[in-house]
Amino acid sequence: MREYFRYFKWMYIVLGALLLVYGFLNAGHLALAKASGHDRDNQSCTTTERVFDYGDVLTDEEEEKLRRLIAKREKQTRCDIVLITLQESLKEYARQIEPGVGYDEFVRVYAERFYEEHNFGYDRPNGDGIVLVDNWYREDDGRIYTWLCTTGRVKEKYTDAAVDHILDNVYRYVEKNPYRAYKTYINDFYHDMLGIRIFTFYVPGYVPWIVGFLAAALFVICNRRSKKGEKTTTALTYTGGVQPRFRVRQDRFLRKSVVTRKIQTSSSGGGGGRSGGGGGSHGGGGHSR
Amino acid sequence: MIFKCKNCGGNVVYEPGRGRMYCPHCEGEDSEEKIQGESLTQCVNCGAPLEIQEYTSASRCGHCGCYIVFQERVEGEYEPHMLLPFHINKNAAVQALNREFSRRLFTPSDFLSEKSLEKMEGIYVPFWLYDYQACYDFTGEGVRIRTWVAGNTEYTERSYFEVVRKMDLDFDKVPVDASYAMEDGIMDLMEPYDYGQLQGFDPKYMSGFYGEVYNQAAAELEDRAKEKSRGASEELLQGSMQGYNTIRPIYKNLDLRGRGVRYALMPVWQYVYRYKGKTYQYHVNGQTGKVIGTTPVSMEKVLSYSVSVFAAVTAMCYLAIRVLEIL
Repeated sequence: MREYFRYFKWMYIVLGALLLVYGFLNAGHLALAKASGHDRDNQSCTTTERVFDYGDVLTDEEEEKLRRLIAKREKQTRCDIVLITLQESLKEYARQIEPGVGYDEFVRVYAERFYEEHNFGYDRPNGDGIVLVDNWYREDDGRIYTWLCTTGRVKEKYTDAAVDHILDNVYRYVEKNPYRAYKTYINDFYHDMLGIRIFTFYVPGYVPWIVGFLAAALFVICNRRSKKGEKTTTALTYTGGVQPRFRVRQDRFLRKSVVTRKIQTSSSGGGGGRSGGGGGSHGGGGHSR
Repeated sequence: MIFKCKNCGGNVVYEPGRGRMYCPHCEGEDSEEKIQGESLTQCVNCGAPLEIQEYTSASRCGHCGCYIVFQERVEGEYEPHMLLPFHINKNAAVQALNREFSRRLFTPSDFLSEKSLEKMEGIYVPFWLYDYQACYDFTGEGVRIRTWVAGNTEYTERSYFEVVRKMDLDFDKVPVDASYAMEDGIMDLMEPYDYGQLQGFDPKYMSGFYGEVYNQAAAELEDRAKEKSRGASEELLQGSMQGYNTIRPIYKNLDLRGRGVRYALMPVWQYVYRYKGKTYQYHVNGQTGKVIGTTPVSMEKVLSYSVSVFAAVTAMCYLAIRVLEIL
């Protein structure tokens, strides 16, 4: 046992350090949230509701839990957090407001209009806040669209990569467990607003398992030193360390050939193309599935 | 022949720790007196019958325990040109073994305490040391590939070169063991020896150890020496042709000219342990202390340690991702 701890002590020290950093960051965010949290300034908002489950993809209990979580996170981030699910075509609605708008932006038009109509914004009407519109209806083009609309401070903070990251995380769970997906949206938003956002890549959940497996396999291979022994001679062992002498050492250029290939630009077919944020006071982006 | 102590008449042996002849009976140093004896079948000291093998050049009398060097097997055609004396003694060799065992992570925890020693011998192993002058002529076509993207076009540029190398190299004392009893692979792994400590042959260094004469002539074993020299030449040639993505040989010729061959004795400690009904053989380089030999593997350790690594690395990876996401 002593041998075990002597050998693995660094592994456990690193693990402990990571746990500490993780705990420290969470505690830091909480402290930051507490320090900055105060009552909302915007009294003109037309509703206290934040979870609009028009698409009926959540149970009453799940809606209630999300409401409570949003109430807490709103105070911590000082931003309005809104969630809307739909189950209807937005084609007519969006094109009445913005003729010629593409399929992928119907949800944007809806999100922005919804935000403005209800005077959302934590600091002032149409102020700091975020709204996620997830329309479960399959539009004429066969796709389901989702939009994350950012306003005020949130718009300034969220880069395209950050929007992609949060939507990627929502899409990881939304088909199998919408509640978990929307909870992820709220919690990710909380960390994004309080952190410095240096990591915006999507890392699939199986990656740590694969890394762990490869590390264990490598560990076994490297330590199977039941083997006889290691070769410790080199090419220079029997030359007395003397490098070879070259009578001729020549590299003569003969010819050159260049081959070109056109790079196919991929169209946003399968997973989810996104288009840039709309103009005016809103930002954000969308995904489709 | 044997070496007797002038002071007490005991058997004087070469003691690697002291680097000189030593009488374990009266603790006298350099007090040896050479007693000649021609017989291969009788002990020079006590006259007891000896049972020696075909190639044995030094052994120990099973009756009186005296170390005997067989004169006719270290003279004439069997006289070594040089000898590398033992540098580490029995205790240092055991320490080297134990250090190596504890470094091998999957060795059963009770191996060190439970193993029992069956045999422990210091042996002078016969080696041929070959000298070569290598001349390597090489001509080939090397290709360097460069790829870049401009706009929506990817460019791949291939530059072709004529690569010529004429390389000279001297190999000194490429060792090949000349003992049937010693496995070639193990003897190769024992290398390298520090040739700076090679000495002219003196039979006194063999007192206290076992020894063999060469089992095969130098010409019979030369292929192995050439193979080693070829491998080293090839590696050095490749090292001089860096920067190419591919190299297609057009002409290559390696000429290995023999510059001489010498017969030498090299020191090896041989240990045989018994553990849970099985025997395990180890060889320790008598000069450098390098250990060669397989140890048993505890499957319990392999399983528990690898599960630990799997769990810890998975957790570390997960936490690292979470931390980066939170930042």
